[in-house]
Amino acid sequence: MTPSSTTDGPARIPGQRAAVIWGTIATILVVASTIGVFLIAPEDADQGIIQRIFYFHVAIAIASLVAFAVACVAGILYLRTRSERWDDVGEASIRIGLLFSVLVVITGSIWAKASWGTWWVWSDPRLVTYLIVVLVYAAYFVLRSSAEDDRKMRYSAIYAIAGFASVPLSFYSVRVAESFVHPVVFTSSGANMPGTMLWWFVMSQVAMIALFIALLEVDLLGRRSERALRRLAMRLESA
Amino acid sequence: MMALVRKDLRLELRTRETIVAMVLFAIVMLAILQFGFGTRDDDLTRFVGGLMWVTLAFTAVLGVGRSYVAEREQRVLDGLLVSPVPRTVMLGAKAIAIFLYMTAVEVVVIPLVGIFFVKGPYWDAIGWIAIAAVLANTCIALSGTLFSGLALFTRARDLIFPVLFLPALVPVVIAGAGATHAVAGGPHDMSEWRGYCLFLLAYAILFSLVCVATYDAVFDD
Repeated sequence: MTPSSTTDGPARIPGQRAAVIWGTIATILVVASTIGVFLIAPEDADQGIIQRIFYFHVAIAIASLVAFAVACVAGILYLRTRSERWDDVGEASIRIGLLFSVLVVITGSIWAKASWGTWWVWSDPRLVTYLIVVLVYAAYFVLRSSAEDDRKMRYSAIYAIAGFASVPLSFYSVRVAESFVHPVVFTSSGANMPGTMLWWFVMSQVAMIALFIALLEVDLLGRRSERALRRLAMRLESA
Repeated sequence: MMALVRKDLRLELRTRETIVAMVLFAIVMLAILQFGFGTRDDDLTRFVGGLMWVTLAFTAVLGVGRSYVAEREQRVLDGLLVSPVPRTVMLGAKAIAIFLYMTAVEVVVIPLVGIFFVKGPYWDAIGWIAIAAVLANTCIALSGTLFSGLALFTRARDLIFPVLFLPALVPVVIAGAGATHAVAGGPHDMSEWRGYCLFLLAYAILFSLVCVATYDAVFDD
């Protein structure tokens, strides 16, 4: 007898508890970091209030890279094990990573308008290359929708790995062109910002990664629930 | 591997349909792009990188997209898959064939670009552009082989392939255009040219690793 059948409550889907825990952690961290960024962190002497978008822009960018890295690892694990579970993790990670990437482009564009007076700067390789990353991962869903069954999962896994190869290129490209305008905050000699700013940046970063994990857990929970529902419907049909 | 490369080249030499079409397409593209600027400027040197690499990118889409046609339509692939040929060898052979197709196109296109769009002495620049083109061709061949393999058994594969391939080609176009611009527009900026060539080399290395790691799974049917 399973534990769920001994109680009157609804059966728990695996991962429900993790989704609730991560959802709570992410909410607390996002609220705390938003308060910290807007009310506690010092204002930048040059750029004023618009510099505060940096805390979200960069944190979301790094969180999206984490999402794509997770998808890449999930792709490798899928190719090794052929387990549907890793395909779910890969697709959910890319879905969230793509959402984050679009947010990076939007927040970058807002920052560009405030700092440079224009919504888009083609001479800034990092912003442009991030747009390429968005296009690369948008194509993932086109590929996925046009392949079937086992091929869909296999091709998605391969594309997640190949797509992730384009990510380091976006970082490398910023150093290739000599005349770039994007502020490089993190250099090999450390971060170019005071301690309080760095602290709130780290806080925002942790919050965004927690948000990614929470969204991933919710997405995976949704898939598991859908499968459980489908199994139940099949059982009812055959009864 | 060389037997497979010879197979592709022999098929092409018999029909001559892909390379001839690619060269003609590239020339038409160059002319159309020039009109697309909406200017009759005598000196288009500062646009030369973009003109050339956008043309080559679309020509690559055309050529690479056709690279598996014989395999698919004449069921050559079925024979290859049941033969004891490692998948990575198939990848290497296809990549070499695509590399040679692109080189054949560039032998015509690069001097033409010089004649059409560069005012003043350009032949010394052609050599530097050709070196960048060799690196870019390697990138195009590797990523093209992988993505055309992925698109091969999808629905609407002719549409899917450019959607997969073109975003992956954007860094190659950026670097190729940058390297061309560095040496085509007046005094050569060799440090910029070197930077872009290193970028192309890094791209080629990265994609060769990805291809070797994943190609077995592409045709794992």
